[in-house]
Amino acid sequence: MRIGVFICECGTNIAATVMTQKVADAALALRDVYHSESIQYTCSDPGQRTVMAAVQKHNLDRVVIAACSPRMHETTFRRTVAKAGVNPFMMEMVNIREHCSWIHDDTDEATEKAIDLMAMGVAKVREEVPLFTSKVPVTSEVLVIGGGVAGIQAALDIADAGIPVTLVEREPTLGGNMARLDKTFPTLDCSSCILTPRMVEVKHNQDIRLIVNAEVEAVRGYIGNFEADIRKKATCVDEEKCTGCYICVEKCPSKAPDEFNAGVGESKAISIPLPQAVPLVASLRKEHCRRYIKGKCGVCEKVCPADAIDYEQEDRIFTDKFGAIVVATGYELFDWKTAYPNLGGGHYPDVITAMQYERMLSASGPTEGHIRRPSDGAEPRNIVFISCVGSRDESIGRPFCCNVGCMYLAKQAILTKEHIPDSQSYIFYMDMRAVGKDYEQFYRRAQRDAGAIYLRGRVGKIYPLDGKLMVMGADTLSGQQLEVAADLVVLATGFTASDGAAELAQRLNIPYDQFDFLSESHPKLRPVETTTGGIFLAGTCQGPKDIPDTVAQASAAAAKVIGLVSRDEMETSPMVAEVNHMRCIGCWKCIEVCPYKAIEKQKLRDGRQVAIIIESLCQGCGICNVACPPSVVSLRGYTDNQLISEVVEVLR
Amino acid sequence: MIELTKTLEDGRELVAEIERRTGQNLAACYQCGTCTSTCTANMAFDYPPHVMIRMLQLGMVDQVMSSHTAQLCYDCMTCSSRCPVRIDVADVIETAKNMADERGLPEPERALRLFRKLFLRNVSRHGRLHEASLLFWYNVKSGTLFNDMSLVPLILRKKKVHIHPTRIRNRREIRRIFSVVKNYPRLKK
Repeated sequence: MRIGVFICECGTNIAATVMTQKVADAALALRDVYHSESIQYTCSDPGQRTVMAAVQKHNLDRVVIAACSPRMHETTFRRTVAKAGVNPFMMEMVNIREHCSWIHDDTDEATEKAIDLMAMGVAKVREEVPLFTSKVPVTSEVLVIGGGVAGIQAALDIADAGIPVTLVEREPTLGGNMARLDKTFPTLDCSSCILTPRMVEVKHNQDIRLIVNAEVEAVRGYIGNFEADIRKKATCVDEEKCTGCYICVEKCPSKAPDEFNAGVGESKAISIPLPQAVPLVASLRKEHCRRYIKGKCGVCEKVCPADAIDYEQEDRIFTDKFGAIVVATGYELFDWKTAYPNLGGGHYPDVITAMQYERMLSASGPTEGHIRRPSDGAEPRNIVFISCVGSRDESIGRPFCCNVGCMYLAKQAILTKEHIPDSQSYIFYMDMRAVGKDYEQFYRRAQRDAGAIYLRGRVGKIYPLDGKLMVMGADTLSGQQLEVAADLVVLATGFTASDGAAELAQRLNIPYDQFDFLSESHPKLRPVETTTGGIFLAGTCQGPKDIPDTVAQASAAAAKVIGLVSRDEMETSPMVAEVNHMRCIGCWKCIEVCPYKAIEKQKLRDGRQVAIIIESLCQGCGICNVACPPSVVSLRGYTDNQLISEVVEVLR
Repeated sequence: MIELTKTLEDGRELVAEIERRTGQNLAACYQCGTCTSTCTANMAFDYPPHVMIRMLQLGMVDQVMSSHTAQLCYDCMTCSSRCPVRIDVADVIETAKNMADERGLPEPERALRLFRKLFLRNVSRHGRLHEASLLFWYNVKSGTLFNDMSLVPLILRKKKVHIHPTRIRNRREIRRIFSVVKNYPRLKK
């Protein structure tokens, strides 16, 4: 056994606090250590060559590298020693930067700690055995969860590479929130004109299987080999037969809230959310249907010319295998009513959300593009827009910026001027955030061409007076307290994670933040990956963002997915659990605790039942190792003996 | 014009004192103006509430302490309850006023302080305001005995002011409220 120890100076990152030469000298005094040295930058090309040369010159068979966190350079150094002919798993990294030099000031004590850490590494590497990676096949089919613009973009990009995609959407149609918008900033192109062609493309793409009214209920497996249960909810309509003729919608006697139109106007119990729906299929909501509430009715069944109504339809669950998953579950708008009693708390009909205003602006919306006050149907003249409702407000626990409010209010002010030329828009804002391409010019256009009056301040209160809404605000630039007598007030409500995002994250075993937005693996360098291999993020499920950013992220996620599933097989880590069958007592504690379902019972020839590890499923988390009562499960690369040697070393 | 580095340096200690007494972090204010938009006394102020906080952020403590705003704010607390970053604006303004009191007020504000003191004493005695005695004592104490005397016959004739005080029934309760408030530090939210 010949061990080499290399101490990295990391420029001054380590060397300023730890006397690296002293650590190297201390290493030479340890048993089995035949070579040690201090290197300025071990990860650099010359640094790696120094390691390789030393391995060959001193005929080393194990290596300890004391440097940064293994999260940074473990792969680098495994490759380095492998090139020099040493099994890559016979290299042990010791973290003397994040765990030592960066967090200590006293040079002597830090050096002493670094020596201890290094000695523990040497003790561990002594017990190391060569390990070898194996390969597992990769399922090529991809699951995309969410059919908004992010999910559509990701699905189309992946399918363009010839990879089969299953796109699961919870609502009856593709399109998500973008389908509800009238026009989009900063170009004012019509939202549905640019989105619906993409929706149709999804429908006609041979490689995409679209499942609407469906949710992902359970996910098992691991990168390259996931298995998902998808629940297709009963809608009482046979999608194969329905032609989207609207006759049932026209004849349906049960009124229902119109969620697609954000509550502007009314819908029916059986409905099609929008004329460009994909698929163009009706769906019935039982909670509003007379047949299910009162027990009698059957109008839709009677009038349907395609015989597509099936009241007996039940939820179906099907299971499929996927190589990768893209999560694109989007956002919902913040429900402002309880948080802001000072803005009326929803009691004044003429205080509406920007999404409701958006549906009014839309030519295909419930008012056919006419701006009308909900209270009396009159055309408003003075319209007040209020930014940051439910955003940047620590007092209600929502400190983050919605990223789009500034721009969509500018857009709505411009559109308002187009719809009602003699109207006057007032926009209360706190800070103007116009950071995208052409956004600043767009904001100036709202001021200069649409004549919107920007008031830098937050609104304190709204109260009704003589048929108007008095908006009490401040203009901090002039230092004035002011009131605007408004006909209509539009609130720019912020983003929240979509309903059930946290539960889905738990099912997928991916992390999410305190606001239920899903967490990327690294905010800069791994923006579409999650910490679970094979699961990627796209769009606003990861955090508030606008359409250009959403589409860019969706394409980035697609590129990552294509890179992953276009391989036939992938390497798996050999650092997995193993069971000593001679001593296994068959208590199945390990099977109970395994989060990856990677342990099975197996009958040996002598009739005894023991636990066996399915190596392709095991992620090496080590829980079974700890749970095993007779302690016969161990984790390769982290065996009990290795860990005990480390502890013995540090206590010596 | 102020020389900002100097103003900041000079004001640092007193601003820290205000933050210490109120338990507030004034740097948290992002000048949204909610306090000003809901202020019920702003029409009488020389600086709106958000400007008071801004001036403290810039170290302009003297202006804050000698402002009319500090003297005239009557602690309705609307600003504090609506502040999105949970700064107790009313407490900050009141603390600035108290600190100004402790250090002796500049001349034009003495009248205000006197009025406030007499007003409260008047209410604590009668349970509600008795204007005639307030006017009398104010003129006596401020040394302007005959100030506005020519108006007295007019307001008496129009019955705007009564010579005899109308008192509330349970004046002991009022005195108790006053003593509790006097002996307790500000009730925290």
